[in-house]
Amino acid sequence: MSRKNLLVALAGQPNCGKSTVFNMLTGARQHVANYPGVTVEKKTGFFRTDSGRVELVDLPGTYSLSSYSLEERVARDFILQDRPDVIVDVVDASNLKRNLYLTLQLLEMEAPVVLDLNMMDVAERRGISVDHEGLSRHLGIPVVPTVGKAGVGGKDIKRVLDEQAQKEPEKFFVVDYGVMEPHVQKMQSRVVARMQLPESYPSRWVALKLLENDAEVTKLVTADNADADELVREIERLRSEFEQEAGIPAERHIAFARHKACAGICREFMTLPAEKKASLSDRADRYVCSRFFGPLVLLAILFILYEVSIVFGYWVAGEVWPVWGALETFTASILPQPGFLSDPLLFGLGTWVVKSTTAILNYLPIFFLLFALIAILEDSGYMPRMAFILDRLFRRFGLHGQSTLPLILGGVYVGGCAIPGVMATKAIPDERARLATILIVPMMNCLAKVPLYLILIGAYFQDQGGLTMFFIATVTLFMALPVAKVLSLTVLGKQPSAPFIMEMPPYHLPTVSGVLRRAFERIWLFLKKIVTVVIAVAVVVFVLINFPGLSRERMAEYRAKQEAATATFMKAVDKTGYKGEISADDVLPMILFADSLKDAKRGITDREKAAAVNTSFQQANPVYYAVVKRKGADGKKLNKAYKKVVKLRKKLRREMRTERFESSFLGVMGRALEPVTRYAGFNWRINIALLSAFAAKENSAATLGAIYGIDGSGSVQESMKAGEAGFTPLHALALMLFMALYPPCVPTSIMVRMQSGSTKWMVFSIAYQTLLGLAVATLVFTGGTLLGLTGFQAMWAFYALCVGATVVMAFVPDRQPEKVEIRETCKQDC
Amino acid sequence: MKKMMITAMTLAVLALAATAFAHTPLCDCFDNGDGTVSCEGGFSDGSSASGVKMYVKDGSGKVLQEGAMNADSEFNFKKPEGSYTVLFDAGEGHAVEINGADIVE
Repeated sequence: MSRKNLLVALAGQPNCGKSTVFNMLTGARQHVANYPGVTVEKKTGFFRTDSGRVELVDLPGTYSLSSYSLEERVARDFILQDRPDVIVDVVDASNLKRNLYLTLQLLEMEAPVVLDLNMMDVAERRGISVDHEGLSRHLGIPVVPTVGKAGVGGKDIKRVLDEQAQKEPEKFFVVDYGVMEPHVQKMQSRVVARMQLPESYPSRWVALKLLENDAEVTKLVTADNADADELVREIERLRSEFEQEAGIPAERHIAFARHKACAGICREFMTLPAEKKASLSDRADRYVCSRFFGPLVLLAILFILYEVSIVFGYWVAGEVWPVWGALETFTASILPQPGFLSDPLLFGLGTWVVKSTTAILNYLPIFFLLFALIAILEDSGYMPRMAFILDRLFRRFGLHGQSTLPLILGGVYVGGCAIPGVMATKAIPDERARLATILIVPMMNCLAKVPLYLILIGAYFQDQGGLTMFFIATVTLFMALPVAKVLSLTVLGKQPSAPFIMEMPPYHLPTVSGVLRRAFERIWLFLKKIVTVVIAVAVVVFVLINFPGLSRERMAEYRAKQEAATATFMKAVDKTGYKGEISADDVLPMILFADSLKDAKRGITDREKAAAVNTSFQQANPVYYAVVKRKGADGKKLNKAYKKVVKLRKKLRREMRTERFESSFLGVMGRALEPVTRYAGFNWRINIALLSAFAAKENSAATLGAIYGIDGSGSVQESMKAGEAGFTPLHALALMLFMALYPPCVPTSIMVRMQSGSTKWMVFSIAYQTLLGLAVATLVFTGGTLLGLTGFQAMWAFYALCVGATVVMAFVPDRQPEKVEIRETCKQDC
Repeated sequence: MKKMMITAMTLAVLALAATAFAHTPLCDCFDNGDGTVSCEGGFSDGSSASGVKMYVKDGSGKVLQEGAMNADSEFNFKKPEGSYTVLFDAGEGHAVEINGADIVE
C-alpha cells in the first residue's frame, strides 16, 4: 500500500509531557530549525508506521491559540497554513480540565485531532481515572492513553494515525456559547461569508475570533477586501451589541464558555479520588504563594541568585581570565609584529577585535551560573510562582509577572547585562508587556555601567560613596517602572495584551543533566548571537576612533623623537662590548623580545618553570637576553639606556593615541555635540566617552581613562578632577544618570531588534532612551544649578521625584478596557 | 505597595553589603633579578590601571611601601627581605593580592 508522507503536528500545553511523546514516537531523532522568519524553535522528526512515513512537527507549547504571543501565532499559522494531516494533541491526564482548553480550540479550528491522554501514570497515582472511550465518543475524535515517559502507548498512536489518514473527520465537537450563539451566527452570515478566506479557515472559528477581537484574524478582514471598512464597522457593531446585551466583554464570555465546557467534560468523564488530599506542592504553595511569606521567599531566592551568580561568578571570572588573556597573547603573536611608534593595521585591528571579544567573554562564567540557576528555578517549578507573586505589582506598570527574570538578568540591582535580559523576554506571553519589558531592560544597571559610576563616585562623592552607590543602584528601577507605564499607555497602547494564565506545575527536583544542558544551550546561543555582533561593532569602532589619523607633519615630529632616542641608546651601546654587535635596527626586536619573554612568564609562580623559560629565551638570543635581564657587566650597563628607550616608546605611543583619538571621527562628533549637551553639563570629552560607550558600555571608563589618565601623575579620578576644573558633583550626578538611562549598547540593540522583530522598535529604543537620558541629565543639572542644590542634595531630590512618580503611576488606571483575567491560583482544582 | 516597600527595604540591606562589580582587575608581577620587582596592572576590558593604588606589605600585613600605577600601568618597588605580599587596590571588589613567593625571576 502506498501513500504520501503523513504530516503530523504535535500540539499541547506546556508541561503536558509533549517532548516525551515526541521522543517516544521518533526515537529522539530530530532536526531543529526555526519557523520561517521568527525566533521560535521548530523541532521536526520522522518515523514509520505500518503504512508509511510520518513527518512529525513539534508545535510550540501554548495554553491557548489566540494571537497574544508569538508561540501561539506560530502554532496557529502552522495548523491553518501547512494543514497537517493529523494533529496529535497531548494532554496531561492528571490535569485534564485545563488541558482541554486547547483541545476545544483545536476542534473549533476543525482540525483533525487525535487526543493523546498522556501522563496516565501520574493520574493513576493521584487516584484519577478517565473514561477515555466515553470521552472519544463525546468529542468525536480518537483518544489514546499513553505514558510518554515510559514509552507506553506509542504503538497505539501510530495505529490511530494510520486509521485517521484514511478517513475524513465527520463531525466536530461544538462549544455552546449560550447567549452569544445568535451573535456568532450573525457574524458568520454578515461578515465571514463576505470575506475571501482560504478553505482551511472554518467560518464559525473566524466568527468567534472576530468577536474575540483577535488582531491577526481582524487583519484578514482588511487584507484584499474592497469593503473592508464597512466590514470592520460591522464587526465592531456586532461585538458591542453583544457586550451591551450580556454586560461582559466578548472575549471574556468566550473564555468562560470554553472553561465551562472543559469543566462539564471533566465532570462527565473523569472520576476524582473520593477524598482529595492536599499534595506536597499544594501545601508548599500555601507558604510560597502567600501574601506574606511569598515576597519573603522571593527575596531570599533573589538574594541567593545575586550572591551566587554575580558575587561568586565574579570571582570565577577572575580565575578563568588567564584563558582569555592567553587568547589575546596568542593573537598578538600570530599577527604582523608591532612597530616602534605605530603598528601595522592588521595588528592593531586584530588585537582590538580580540580584546573587545574577550571583554565580553570575561562575563561568561557569570552568565553560565545565572543561566544554570534560572534553569533550576524553571525546572523546580518556582519560576511561574515568582511570576504569579510579582504579576500584581508589575501589572500596575504595564509589565507582566514574567518580566521579573529579564529585569534581574539586566541588573535590577547592580550587575547584569541587558543582552540576556532582552533575550529572556521571549517567554512573556503578553505582547504589550513584552515590548515594555524589552524597552526598559536596558535601563537597568548592567555590569558595564559600573566602572563609570566608580570613577565618578571616587572623584566627586568620595565621602558619600556607599549612599551614592545605593542611589544609582535603586533609582534606575524607580525610573524604569513609571517609564514602562507611560510607554504602555502611549506608544504601546495598541499592542495586544494577554490575560495572565499561568500554570503552577507541581514542584520537582531539577536534574543535574537537565540544568547543565539548558545552561549550555543558552550560553551557546548567547555566544553565537553576540560574539559575531561584537566583532562587527569592534571593527566599526576601530575605524571611528583611529581615523583619519595623524598628519604627516605630526608623524615626522614623533619619528624625530624616536630617532633621537635610538641615537642616545646607540651611544650607550658604543661604550660597551656590544659595540658593532647591536645596531639601531635591534632596538625594536629587543623590545618585542622582552615583551614575549614577559608574556611567556605571565602566571608562572614556580621557580623552576620560570628558569626554564628564561633559559630558552637566553638560548634564542643571548645578546638581547643579557640586555633585557641585566646579565654581565655590559648588560647591566646597557639595561639602563634600554629602559629609557622603552619608557619613551610607551610615552610617545600614548601621546599619539590620544592625539589620534581626539582628531578621530568620534572625537569630531563629540565636539559637534557640545552645544546640545552643555545643558546637561557634558563637555566634548565626556561626549566622546559616551559615544564610545554606545558601542559597548565598557568603553566609557576605558575612554575616560584614555582621555584623563594621560599624564600619569595620579588616578583617572584625580586627573579628571584636575582636568575638569569647573566640574562639580552636580555634573557627575547628571553624567551618572545619563549613563543609567543611556541607550542600549550596540549588541543589546541588535538583541532588541531580534526580540521585537522590528527595526522600528530598535530605533525607538535607542532614540527614546537617549532623549530621556538627556532630559533627565538636563533637569538635574540645569534644575539643580538654578535651585542652588549641591550634587548630593540634587541626588535625593531626584530620588524623591522618581519614587513619587512610581507611586503615582501605579495608581493611574490602564486605559485599555477590562481584560480577561483568568488567574489560576496556586491551588489546582479539577 | 507593601510589596514594593519590602523590595525597597531589602535592596537597601543589599546595598550595605554592596560590592561594585565591573571588569576583572588584573595584575602580574615579575622579579627583575636586581632586587626590584615590576608589576603590570590592567583590567579585563583593556582599561588602563594608571593611578591604581599599590601596597607592598610584609608577612604581618604591615605596609612597607605604597604608591600607584604609573601612566604605563606599571609599578616598581624594592623587593623586601623575607615574605611579602603585593596589593593592587582598585577599590572595593577590585583588589588583587599577590604573594611574594609567587613572584619569580
